[in-house]
Amino acid sequence: MNLRIQLEDVWQRYRVVRERPDSLREAFTRIFHKRHKTQEFDAVRGVSLKVMNGEVVGFIGRNGSGKSTLLKLIAGVYKPTTGTVEVHGTVAALIELGAGFHPDLTGRENMILNGLMMGLTRKQIQAREQKIIDFAELGEFIDSPLKQYSSGMYMRLAFAVAIEVDPDILLVDEILSVGDAEFQEKCDRKISDFCQRGKTIVFVSHDMHAIRRVCTRLVLLDHGQILANGPVEEVIARYEELIHLDLANPAAATPAGHAELLT
Amino acid sequence: MWRLCREIHDNWELIWELALKELRLRYKRSALGFLWALLNPLLTLAILTVVFSTFVRFPVQKYAVFLISALLPWTFFSQTMSYAVESIVGNGELLKKVKIAKSVFPVAAVVSNIVNFLFSLLPLLFILLVLRFPFHWTWLYVPVPLLGLVLFTMGCSFFCSAANVYFRDVSHIVQIVLSGWFYLSPVIYSLDLMPERYRMLLRLNPLAYILHGFRLAIYYGLLPSPQSVAISLIVGVVALMLGYWFFCRVQERFVYYV
Repeated sequence: MNLRIQLEDVWQRYRVVRERPDSLREAFTRIFHKRHKTQEFDAVRGVSLKVMNGEVVGFIGRNGSGKSTLLKLIAGVYKPTTGTVEVHGTVAALIELGAGFHPDLTGRENMILNGLMMGLTRKQIQAREQKIIDFAELGEFIDSPLKQYSSGMYMRLAFAVAIEVDPDILLVDEILSVGDAEFQEKCDRKISDFCQRGKTIVFVSHDMHAIRRVCTRLVLLDHGQILANGPVEEVIARYEELIHLDLANPAAATPAGHAELLT
Repeated sequence: MWRLCREIHDNWELIWELALKELRLRYKRSALGFLWALLNPLLTLAILTVVFSTFVRFPVQKYAVFLISALLPWTFFSQTMSYAVESIVGNGELLKKVKIAKSVFPVAAVVSNIVNFLFSLLPLLFILLVLRFPFHWTWLYVPVPLLGLVLFTMGCSFFCSAANVYFRDVSHIVQIVLSGWFYLSPVIYSLDLMPERYRMLLRLNPLAYILHGFRLAIYYGLLPSPQSVAISLIVGVVALMLGYWFFCRVQERFVYYV
């Protein structure tokens, strides 16, 4: 087993400016009233974690528990405030509509653009083109603009591109829940095949069905800390316990969605 | 500077594809499509020519050629700026998902407009033929001011796209500055049509040297003096260095603000 991802005492601090100067006018008035209403907020607090090759690790937790921030730290989009993030191998993220994909471009154009952004060369993409189209079951629709796609078609294309990019680490944020049973089965097969070749997937989701289907290990996050880390069923049980605790004692629950505002 | 060259080199395929995407989106769903790249300068030219050679009479022969020789580089500058200023903010969602060299977005805006500019040389050629304008060997000199122009534009693009992340006002300010800058640059008139005492003002305008270089070569059939060539290249390089330096300083924090 080889180490793929290693996080060591990672903290990610956001500076939540209550009223960030959004315009020059505000910035100028700031100069005169030197009162920065900043508030610091730690989205990830001292997380240490190791992920090996061949694993499918799921991150679960309530809204604002730091799952997505952690994923962005692994992707290299954020630099940790303190601590170290080590990643061995290439990383690719499944990209949502509106981010990397453009609705006015055709499926093929989007596929090329997306592949390039994930670090492939044009030649490499062209070599995988047919595989992507076949896997996504798009056929001739590949040359239609993306806005005419159904959400299922779109999701299939996004997944097909990401998995055919064949990174060492694939990051998936809440997307695999679309698609019919048949396609889901195909994805599952692709994922387990992917992992058997020594690759790694990190998966963020609230969908316990999807998690049970694909994950080999779960990490439960709460308030930016790891609460549990281990076998799937055990951690899910722990998570459900946590939610019931909150329901029973709403006063103890902190305002959720705090971090959600930021991402 | 080397860092910029390496970034462009390493990401060239992506930059090119992003530039193509911008061009495709600009002309998709319009009946005339890419013809607009040719029609747009011609129509603007027609309007300005009618205004300034018929209503307001500038003592300039073949005004259309005089005008287009500086109008095309100006249009390149202003269009690139309008696209580039939004290039980081507009791709914010992507920056939050994928680790990617952030400079590719402003650079792609510049590249797509270079392609557009090269196409707009066709209407220039068309005007020259229709007006039976004599051929000058100095036309071959055009790449030199073009280089200065591209460097200068890229520098401004880096600066404005980064500043716009922090203050969205920048995109509005850029539009206003562009329209003022147009009248303060020798596009519809030339330096010698200005009263003596205002010429100093124009000398402070870095674009004036570049635009004048285009006009000298295309319209007057003259080569600019070595000093003015040097100035336009230096202006370009300095703008690029400052713009890129600022961009690099702040780019790490883009993800938190877009």
